[in-house]
Amino acid sequence: MKILVVNNMAPFLWGGAEELAVHLQRNLIAAGHQSEVLRIPFRWEPAACIPSQMLMVRAFELWNVDRVIALKFPAYLIRHPHKTLWLLHQYRQAYDLLEVGQTNLPPGDIGAAIRDAIKAADNESFEESKRIFVNSKVTQTRLKKYNGFDSTVLLPPINDPEMFVGGAPQGYIFAGGRVNSMKRQYLLVEALAKSAASVRLVIAGPPDSPDDVLRLEMLVEKYGLSDRVKLDLRFLSREEYAAYLNAASAVAYLPYDEDSLGYVAMEAAMAGKALITARDSGGILGLVRDGETGWVVEPEPESLAQAMSAACVDSASVVRRGDGARSLWLQMNISWQSTIERLLA
Amino acid sequence: MKIALCSSFVPFVYGGARNIVEWLESTLLAEGHQVERIYLPHIDTPDQLLSQMAAYRWVDLEAADRVICFRPPAHFIPHPNKVLWFIHHVRAFYDLWDSPYRNFPDDRRNRTIRDALHEADTRAINEARAVFTNSAVVSQRLRQYNGIDSEVLYPPIFDAGRFHCQGFNDEVVYICRVEHHKRQHLLVEAMRHTQTPVRLRLCGSASGADYMEELHATVHRYGLESRVCIDNRWITEEQKVDYLANCLAAAYLPLDEDSYGYPSLEASHAGKPILTTTDSGGVLELVENGRNGLICDPLPEALGAALDRLYDDRHATERMGQAARDRLDELGINWARVLNRLLA
Repeated sequence: MKILVVNNMAPFLWGGAEELAVHLQRNLIAAGHQSEVLRIPFRWEPAACIPSQMLMVRAFELWNVDRVIALKFPAYLIRHPHKTLWLLHQYRQAYDLLEVGQTNLPPGDIGAAIRDAIKAADNESFEESKRIFVNSKVTQTRLKKYNGFDSTVLLPPINDPEMFVGGAPQGYIFAGGRVNSMKRQYLLVEALAKSAASVRLVIAGPPDSPDDVLRLEMLVEKYGLSDRVKLDLRFLSREEYAAYLNAASAVAYLPYDEDSLGYVAMEAAMAGKALITARDSGGILGLVRDGETGWVVEPEPESLAQAMSAACVDSASVVRRGDGARSLWLQMNISWQSTIERLLA
Repeated sequence: MKIALCSSFVPFVYGGARNIVEWLESTLLAEGHQVERIYLPHIDTPDQLLSQMAAYRWVDLEAADRVICFRPPAHFIPHPNKVLWFIHHVRAFYDLWDSPYRNFPDDRRNRTIRDALHEADTRAINEARAVFTNSAVVSQRLRQYNGIDSEVLYPPIFDAGRFHCQGFNDEVVYICRVEHHKRQHLLVEAMRHTQTPVRLRLCGSASGADYMEELHATVHRYGLESRVCIDNRWITEEQKVDYLANCLAAAYLPLDEDSYGYPSLEASHAGKPILTTTDSGGVLELVENGRNGLICDPLPEALGAALDRLYDDRHATERMGQAARDRLDELGINWARVLNRLLA
C-alpha cells in the first residue's frame, strides 16, 4: 500500500512529533509498504493566521495515495477517502488551554470565531476519518469531552529502544528534552537549592528561545549552584542523550499537563531509571506511580527537593523504583510492529 | 542562513524534479546553512487548479531568511526574499495546450482558467527577487508567456566525482526511465540499420507495461537479442557509474524536453559523448554536433548511422568524450556557481 503520513512542520524546528512521523514511515516501509511523510508548514502566531492555514490544508489535492495517517492539527484536515488519525493533540489553545486562560486566541468576537472555526473543522475531519487513534488517555478524554468523538489509545513506541540499556547511577538527576517554561526545568534548579548538597542536576536539550536559557542561567547564578548544575542547552545527538540518561540516578520530567507519556519518560523507564514528575504533569502519570516507579510531587521546589534528595541518597529505593518503571513499561508491550498492525487494521 | 526549499510533488513519484531540490539541500547543508525542504501536493487538473494556487498562497514561511521555489505552484508562496529556480510551467496550460498532453477540452471554461493561471503566475513570479530557470527553453517560455526575463542556472548533479572513464567498449547505453517520450524505441529500431557490431543497453524501469513489451517485441522481430540488452529496472548508482565508465557513448533522446537531462550530465562527467536528436529540446543546449556528441534526425536510419560512426571512429568518439567534460566547465555547471547565484 502507498501510505502517506501527514504531519505539521514548524519550519526549522524539529521535535518529538517529527521524529514519530519519520519512524512511522520507516516502520511502514519495514512492514512492506511504500511510505512518505508530507510535512505541512504551520504557524500559530498570531492566531489570526490560523484560519487561512486551515483552508490551505483543506485545499491540497492528494493523488496516488491509498491511505493517509494524519497526526496533528491542522495536518489532519487534509481530505482523503481513507484517512486514519493518530491524534497527538488538537489545537489545545482552542480547547482545554483556553479554559485555563492559556491561549493565544484574541479576546472577544474574533477569538471566539477562530475557536468556532477550529472546532467545526475538527469535527468535520473526525467525522470523515475511518479510524481515530490517540496517543494518550488525556487526548482521548479531551476528544470526547470537547468534540464528542470516541477513539482508541495507541501509545507511540520508543523509536530506538536498543539505546536505553541503563547503567550505574552517577549521582545526578537528568532532565532531557526541549527546554521551555511549559516543561518547567526552572523548578528543578529552584528545587536543587533546597535539596541535599550531594545532589547534582543535568539539564540537556534544545531551548525554545534565548529567554529560556537566560532564565536557567540566572537561577543557577542566583542560588550559587554552578558546581552542581550542568546546563547543556542544545540539540543533542541520540548517542549523547542516551549517555546522559543511562548514567543518571533518576530522570525528572515535569511538563505542565502534557498529553502523552512523553519519550523522555518512556526512554527513562526502558533504561530502568526512576522517574520524578509533578501531580499536574498529565500523560506521564501513566508511567509514574509514586513509590513504585518514581516520585509524584507537588509542582513546587520543596516537595521536588525531597524527591531529588531521596533519588540521589537512598540508593536502594531509587534502584527499586527504576526496576519498577522498567517492568511497567515492558508490561505495556508497545512495539512498532504491533503499532503498525493496529493502525492499518 | 535559514533557507526553505519549496516544491510541489506527487507522493510516491520520484524523478528529476526531486533531485534538483534534494541535491541543493545536501549542498546547502554541507555549506553550513539551515535548510527546510517543503514538498506540498499538487495535481494539474483544471477544476482544482485555482483552489490549489490559493493553498500555496496561504503557506507561511516567515521563519525562513530565504525561500527558493521550484515546481509550480510553489512560486505562489509569499515571502520577501523569494527566489525562483523555475523548472517548468503547468505545461498543459502553456506550451502543451495545443498537444495531445492536454487531457481536458479546449472550451471557454478551461480557457478562462488558463488565462487566470497565466495572470496569477506572472504576478507571483514577478514578486521574486530573482528568477532562475534550469534551461534556455524554460527561460524562453517565461519570456513568451509571462513577459519575464530570467537567468539560466544549469542544475548540476550531486557528487559528480563518482563518474569517471575507464575505457570504451562496444556498447551505447541509455540509462533513463523507459517511457514513450524518452523514445527508447527509436534506438532499438536504429539497431537494425547498423552495419557494425555496436551494441545497445537500455537501463530503467517503465511506469506502464505496454511500452516495455513493445520494445521487447521489436528486439524479437528484428532478431536483435544478441546486440540489444534491456535491463528493465532501476539500476543502482554504482552500476550506473560502472556502465558509464566503460561504455562507448551514452544516448539521451527525449522528445522536446525542457532541460538537458541528468543522463546527459552523467555521461559528460564520465567523459562520454552524448547521442541525441534534433528535436530533443534542452539537450541541444549542452550537446554540439561533432564536438561533445552527435545530433541526428529522430529517425532510425540516421540514428543507426550515428551508432556506426561512434563505433567506427574511436578516436573521434574518445575526443568527443573528453570535450563533454570541457563543455560542463564552459557552461558553468557546478554547485559553487549555483549557490553563488541563488544566495546573491
